[in-house]
Amino acid sequence: MNKEKEVQIDWIRLSEIIEENSDEQWSLIPMVQKIQKEFGYIPPQAIPIIAAKLKIFPSQVQGVISFYAQLYTEPRGRNTVRVCRGTACHVRGGKTILKLVKQHLGVDEGETTEDMEYTLETVACIGVCALAPNLVIGNQVYGNLNPKKLGRLLKKDGG
Amino acid sequence: MQPVTLTINRQEVSGHSGMTILELARESGIDIPTICHHSKLSPIGACRFCIVENEQNGALLASCVTPIAPGMIINTESPRVLEHRKMILKLMLASHPDSCLVCDKGNQCQLRRLAADLGIGLIELDRIPQPAVTEEVNPFISRDMSKCILCARCIRACQELVIEGALDYLGRGFKAKPATLNNSPLELSECTFCGTCVALCPTGALMEKEGPYGGTIGKTIVTTCPYCGCGCSISLEIKDNRVARVKPVIDEHTDLKALCVKGSYGCDFIHSPERLAKPLIKESNKFKEVSWDEALAAVAGAFNKIKEEYGADSLAVLGSANCTNEDNYLLQRFTRDVLGTNNIDNGSSLYYSATRQAFNDAVGSPGITHCLEDLEKAEVILLIGANPEASAPQVNYRIKRAVKLHGAKLLLIDPRKTKLSFFTEHWLRPKVGTDLALLNGLAKVIIEENLIDQEFVARKTEKYHQLAGFLAGYPLEKAESLTGVDAEQMRRAARLYASAGKAAIIFGTGITQQAQGVENVKALINLALLTGNIWRKGGGIRALQRECNAQGACDMGALPEYLPGYQRVEDPQGRKKYEERWDVSLPSSSGADALKILQGAIEGKIKGLYITGENPLISFPRSSLVKEALNSLDFLVVQDLFLTETAKLASVVLPAASFAEKDGTVTNMEGKVQMIRKAVEPVGESMPDWEIILHLAQAMGQPLPYSSLQQVMDELRELVPLYRNGREGKSLEEEDLWETRADYRLPLNKFPGFSVLEYISPAEALDDSFPFILLAETPLFHFGTGSRSSKSRNLSKFSPSFKVRINEVDAQKMGLRPGDQVRVVSPVGQLLAAAEITDELPRGIVSLPRSIPGHPITGLFSSMPEVSTKTFAPKTCYVRIERG
Repeated sequence: MNKEKEVQIDWIRLSEIIEENSDEQWSLIPMVQKIQKEFGYIPPQAIPIIAAKLKIFPSQVQGVISFYAQLYTEPRGRNTVRVCRGTACHVRGGKTILKLVKQHLGVDEGETTEDMEYTLETVACIGVCALAPNLVIGNQVYGNLNPKKLGRLLKKDGG
Repeated sequence: MQPVTLTINRQEVSGHSGMTILELARESGIDIPTICHHSKLSPIGACRFCIVENEQNGALLASCVTPIAPGMIINTESPRVLEHRKMILKLMLASHPDSCLVCDKGNQCQLRRLAADLGIGLIELDRIPQPAVTEEVNPFISRDMSKCILCARCIRACQELVIEGALDYLGRGFKAKPATLNNSPLELSECTFCGTCVALCPTGALMEKEGPYGGTIGKTIVTTCPYCGCGCSISLEIKDNRVARVKPVIDEHTDLKALCVKGSYGCDFIHSPERLAKPLIKESNKFKEVSWDEALAAVAGAFNKIKEEYGADSLAVLGSANCTNEDNYLLQRFTRDVLGTNNIDNGSSLYYSATRQAFNDAVGSPGITHCLEDLEKAEVILLIGANPEASAPQVNYRIKRAVKLHGAKLLLIDPRKTKLSFFTEHWLRPKVGTDLALLNGLAKVIIEENLIDQEFVARKTEKYHQLAGFLAGYPLEKAESLTGVDAEQMRRAARLYASAGKAAIIFGTGITQQAQGVENVKALINLALLTGNIWRKGGGIRALQRECNAQGACDMGALPEYLPGYQRVEDPQGRKKYEERWDVSLPSSSGADALKILQGAIEGKIKGLYITGENPLISFPRSSLVKEALNSLDFLVVQDLFLTETAKLASVVLPAASFAEKDGTVTNMEGKVQMIRKAVEPVGESMPDWEIILHLAQAMGQPLPYSSLQQVMDELRELVPLYRNGREGKSLEEEDLWETRADYRLPLNKFPGFSVLEYISPAEALDDSFPFILLAETPLFHFGTGSRSSKSRNLSKFSPSFKVRINEVDAQKMGLRPGDQVRVVSPVGQLLAAAEITDELPRGIVSLPRSIPGHPITGLFSSMPEVSTKTFAPKTCYVRIERG
C-alpha cells in the first residue's frame, strides 16, 4: 500500500454532497460516485458519515465500495496508467513494458506516485492488439511500445 | 390462496405461491443438501450447493431462492445435479486447508459432513492460495479466514439477528471475505461478541477461543441463561463433567434468540477455582472449612437462640433474584414458617419496587408481561431510562429488529448517545432527572391535540378529567425550560407515539432509580392509558429487569408484604390458604424490606441475617453503612457460589451450587417460566439452595415436608395461580421445555386510572461545589455486583478498564486529556479513575460503569430512599472532578 498521503478534504463540501444525495431511493452508489468525482477518491473517514445518513451499517458501505473496481478509498494520481496484460501484448513483451513502467514511476501495481501524478494499473485487453504492446494514459492509447518510446512518453508527460 | 402444483422427483406436490423449491421439498420430505442456507436467516443463494434441475429446460436452479411455479418438473438428484454439487464442494475444498484432523469443529463441520456424504476424498484440483489466519487478541472469538467458504451466515447473523452490522463482505472475487470496517480486528470493531456468528458458522472459520481441540462433546443440555432478566435459552455442551461451550438454542419451531457475550462466553464462572467447595465457619476472624453438619448446627443454633432471646422479628432473610423459583418459594416458607417473621426481601427491590408500586396503583396488577417476540410487532417503541444494549441484550436485538426489519419507529429518551441513537426516529435528550416533566409534556400534547383513544379512556379508565385539568395548567414552555427539550420536538414525539396503532413503552432503572421513580412509571402508564396501549399485542408497557429471576423471586413471595402470588400478609384471607396447607399460623404484619433490615441491624433490632445469592455490600448504596449494618449483626449467614465481599463478613458461609448444577425454574421479565437443568455435578460439597434450606429447617428442628424438588414445584403450582397456567401434571423429568407464561392480567373492567403527577426539582439542588451529575452505567461485559462475571476467565480477561467518561467540552475546559487520573468526589465518598473523553454525554454529565470487579462505585451514592417506595437512588448523584 502507499504510504499515507496528505490530502486535504473539504469536509463541508463532503457533507453537502451527502446531504444533497440522501433523498434518492438507492442513493448509495450515486452518492459515492459524486464524492469520488469531487475528491478523486472516497475518503475512508466519510464511510461512517454516509452510513449514518443512509441508516445502513458502515461495513455495508465499505462492502459496496470495495466491490466496485471503479470506486477507490485511496487518493488517486491525476492520470491513470493502464498497462495491457492481454495475450497479444504479453507475446509482444507487455511484461517488460510493465516492469519498465514500474521502474520509471517507482510504484507497484495499484499504487500512486509521490507527486500524485500517476496511478498504475493493469488491464486484461484494450482491444487494439494490432498495436501491441499497448498502454493507456488517461484516455489516450499508446501502441507499438518499446523501452525507448516508453521513456520519452513518460518523460514528455511530466513523469 | 391458489395452491401451486409441481413435480419434485416424480412426485406431485403443491405449495403456496411465494414458497421456494427448497421449502416445498423439505415440507414434502425430500432432502436437498444446503450450506449457506439457514432457516433463521434470509436465503441468499450464495453457495449454489442446493441446486436442482428443472427437467423442462435443463436449468440448474438454486432451490433456496427459486420460487415454485406451476408445472415445474424438478429433479433434486439428477446425474447433472450430483455432478455439479460435487464440483461445487471440490472447489470449496480446493480453497480450504486439509486440517480436519486437528480442527476443533470436528464432526460438527458441515463441509466435512457433506464431503463425506458425497464421497469426496482427496481432490484433483490445484489448491487456491489462502489468506493468512487472522490473529485476534480478544478472548472470545478466533477467526481463521482460510476456512471461510463465504456462505455469509456470519454476515447475515450480524445484520439480521443482532443488527450490529459489524461484518459485511469486503472486496470481490478471490479477495472477498467477511470483514469489519477497515478490516480491523473484532475488538476494535462494532462487534459485541454475542457469539451468534460463531454458532452459525458451518466450518471452523469462526470458533470459540477458549479450549481449542477440546474433543467431541458428550452431551448437550438446554437450560436458561443465569445472567439478566431476558432469560434466553442456552445450550450447554458438556464434556467430562465440564461445560465446554455455550450456544444459543437453534430450534426449528422458535425463532433464534441470539445470546450476548455474557451468555455465550461468561458462564465459565461455574468452573472457577474460587468456587466455594465446603462450608466455612469464622473462628477468631479466620474462616475454617467444616462439615455440613457442623455448619448447619451452628446456623440453626444461632438462629434458634436469637429467636428465643429477641423474638422472631430480630431475624431477617435476603432472598435472591438470581436463585430459582423453588429456592425462593422454600426460602420464604422457611422465613415465615420456621423463623416466624415476614422480614424477607430480595435484591430486585433496589430498582423494581417503584415499578411494582406504580403498577399496583395505576394498572391494578403487580407485574407486567408482554412477550418479547411481540415487541417486533410494535409500530412505535418508546425507550426511556435504559440502555438495553448492556442491561437486556435480547430486548436490544428486538428493538433493532423491529426498526430495521419491520419498519417500527424508535422514540428514544436518553441524555446519552448510545448505539441505539443510530436507529431513532426522534431522540429527546432531557436534562438528567427531569423525565417526569418531559412525560407530562408528552401527555399534555396528546390531550391538547386530541390524540387520545376516546373509547378506551371513557370505558376503561378513571380520573381522566383530573389529569386533563392538571395538564391544562401545565404550559409546554414550562416543560421546555425544565427539561431543556424543545417544545416542537416534544410535540412531534407525542404525535408519533399517539398516532401509532401499537406503541410499546420500555423503561429501565434510569427512571425508576430516581427520587420520583414511582411517579415516572405512573407518567408512562398515563401515556399508555391515554392511547389505549395497555395489554395490547405489540403495544404495552414493559420494565426491564436485571436478574434472571427478579420476577420469579417476587412472584414467590420473597417480599416483606406479600406471600407467594402477591397475597398480602396482612390479609387473613390471603394467609388462610397457606396456613391451611402448611398447618401453621403465619406472622400477620408486613415485614422489614432490605433497607429496613439494614437500618434495623444498625439500630440493634435485627440480630441475625440469612443472605442467599446477594452481595449487598456492593449492590447497595453507601457501602460503608451496609458494612456497619452487617458488622453490627450477631450472626450473619451467607449462601453463595463465591466468597463475596459480603460473605467475608459472615459468621458462616454455605457453598451453593450454580445454575448448571441444579434443577428448577426461573421467570424472566416477560413472565415466561423456564427450566434450569442440571448439567454437571456440583463443585465440591456445594448443594443447590433449596436443599440447603431444607437441611437448615431440619437442623432447626422444624423439618419442611418435601423430599424432592418435584414436590416443591407441584405445591407452588397448586398454591400460586399465576404459575398454574397449563402446567398441570407436567413433571420435572418430562423432556419438553417447561416453558409457559405466567399471566399477571387481572380480569378488570377498569384500570384504576390516571395519576396527576407534579414534577419536583430534586432537594439537593445543583451546588457549585458539585457541578457534575454522575450516571452509573451498566457495562456489557459484567453483571450485577460482578460476583459471577468477574470469576469468568473469558470476561475478566477482556474487562474494559475503569474509566470516568466526561464530555469533550467539559474536559477541554478542565484541561483533561484522555487517560488522565482524576478524582471523582461526591458528598459522601470519592474514588480515582482514568478520564475518557467522549461526545456521547452532554455537558455537565459524567458516567462511571458499575459492576467492574475491584471498582465498586456505590460508595459515592448517598442512601437516600424515596419514602413512598423505599427505592434507593443509586443511579445518579452530584459530583465534582478533581485532578487525581
